[in-house]
Amino acid sequence: MLTSLFQGTTIPVLEQVINFAQTRHNVLAGNVANIDTPGYRMRDLSPEMFQARLKSAIDQRDAIHGIMPAASPGGVTQNPVSRVGDSLVDLLHHDDSNGSLEDQVTSIAKNELQHNTALAIMVSQFQLLQAAISEKA
Amino acid sequence: MFTAIDVSTSGLVAQRARINTIAGNLANLSTTHNELGETKPYQPRYVTFQTDSSVGGAQGTAGVRVDSVEISNADPVWKYQPGHPDAIKQGEHEGYVAYPSIDMTMEMVDAIEASRAYEANLGVIQVSKSINAQSLKIVA
Repeated sequence: MLTSLFQGTTIPVLEQVINFAQTRHNVLAGNVANIDTPGYRMRDLSPEMFQARLKSAIDQRDAIHGIMPAASPGGVTQNPVSRVGDSLVDLLHHDDSNGSLEDQVTSIAKNELQHNTALAIMVSQFQLLQAAISEKA
Repeated sequence: MFTAIDVSTSGLVAQRARINTIAGNLANLSTTHNELGETKPYQPRYVTFQTDSSVGGAQGTAGVRVDSVEISNADPVWKYQPGHPDAIKQGEHEGYVAYPSIDMTMEMVDAIEASRAYEANLGVIQVSKSINAQSLKIVA
């Protein structure tokens, strides 16, 4: 029941974005920790790859359920959006060129903003649902 | 969306490279041997910058990157030190030692300038981040 309640919203999509941002933050934090480690190769998760997968997953979901599914009538089919999590395991290894602290910290700042944006939208979605449930604004 | 932050970051990286060369120049102020141990005064390094349109080029802004590290071949500074092991044994500069031609004052001024430029880029990043945080308030 809850699954179909959330399927009409963007919450599953935002959940993936937040998951990705948190995982990428861990990877980038590891790079900063190892900034002086000899022979260390910078790691990263590709936001482009993630976004491409997320887009195709959303397209797939819309093809199955329609743009705004009111409620899935039959049993719950597997949600294509949940499979986007696969991109969390695609670790990119940079070439052995000089990794600079500034670039890493900037990536972290941009990632943080992406995370906070998704979170803010998610919070307002929950507030809308809350308002609908309690029948008051 | 993050053009300004990327451009400022390229500035940070470039200014750090400049500070690194200045640190090397000042550290080698009195160096009279090269890496191989031969008697050759250190030649100061200076970075040159180049606009980098691969950073944020779409919006008419350009980042910066280090173009090259130039090695100065200015004449050495001669000091009369006949007892020094590196003193020239014969010829015009007999008894003189060749020291690197590095002006400490100039290097320090350059270091301060690079440091201020670094701070300025950091400041712009702060402003960009705060603009982004402000836009977020539209949704929440």
